[in-house]
Amino acid sequence: MDLRSLIAPRLVAHAHCDIPCGIYDPTPAKIAADTVAKMVEKITGATGGDEASRNTFIRSVAVKEEHAQICKKELLILWTDYFKPEHLEKYPKLHDTFWKAAKLCSKNKQSVDAKAAADLQAAVTEIADIFWATKK
Amino acid sequence: MRPATLVFRVAVAGASMEPTFRDGDWLLVRKLSRPPRAGEVVVATDPREPARLLVKRVSSVAHGRVTVHGDHPGASTDSRQFGPIPDSAVVGRPFLRYAPLHRIGFVK
Repeated sequence: MDLRSLIAPRLVAHAHCDIPCGIYDPTPAKIAADTVAKMVEKITGATGGDEASRNTFIRSVAVKEEHAQICKKELLILWTDYFKPEHLEKYPKLHDTFWKAAKLCSKNKQSVDAKAAADLQAAVTEIADIFWATKK
Repeated sequence: MRPATLVFRVAVAGASMEPTFRDGDWLLVRKLSRPPRAGEVVVATDPREPARLLVKRVSSVAHGRVTVHGDHPGASTDSRQFGPIPDSAVVGRPFLRYAPLHRIGFVK
């Protein structure tokens, strides 16, 4: 028998909260980032000057804007509400990762840039990987 | 749930006692033979489920009724929901956090 199991408590004292104060999940941020990338693709590939094409083009720009904002909001919820000081101890780059990801959301609003969209997708994936690692 | 020995060990589960205790902290608990006092942390049986132990801080004691709260009120189920508990429900008082190593310390 090792020392750890020798000194480990056999009882649990609950310091619980019955009400889930938040169900956190990085998936909405991921979907929003993927949507931004898809819209960049549509905007870049848009052709035709007829009304229907122009309507589609404008809608793609609007959806890109909207989902970049959703992505930022979802990231901020994870950053400020889910992650705790002990996570930061384990992932010292956490603040920097979130800050850069949030900035990429803004960059994707300002521009039509496939690289910025791919960078955002990568940043959100990185955050999702950290999130799921903390759930293990 | 009544441990047999004068001193017993418990593992903390949950975040309602942060920052005093974190999920996974290991505590040494001494059985309490006197009534609990306001301000001290206690281990008590859950009034809703007597086989289960809770760890909370005593806010007030009056006429054998003990009001308990988590140190992290935003993430705690305590006397705000289940009301005061009888002082007979109080089992002991954690006095030492003995693991993890970097968090060893006396309980305030």
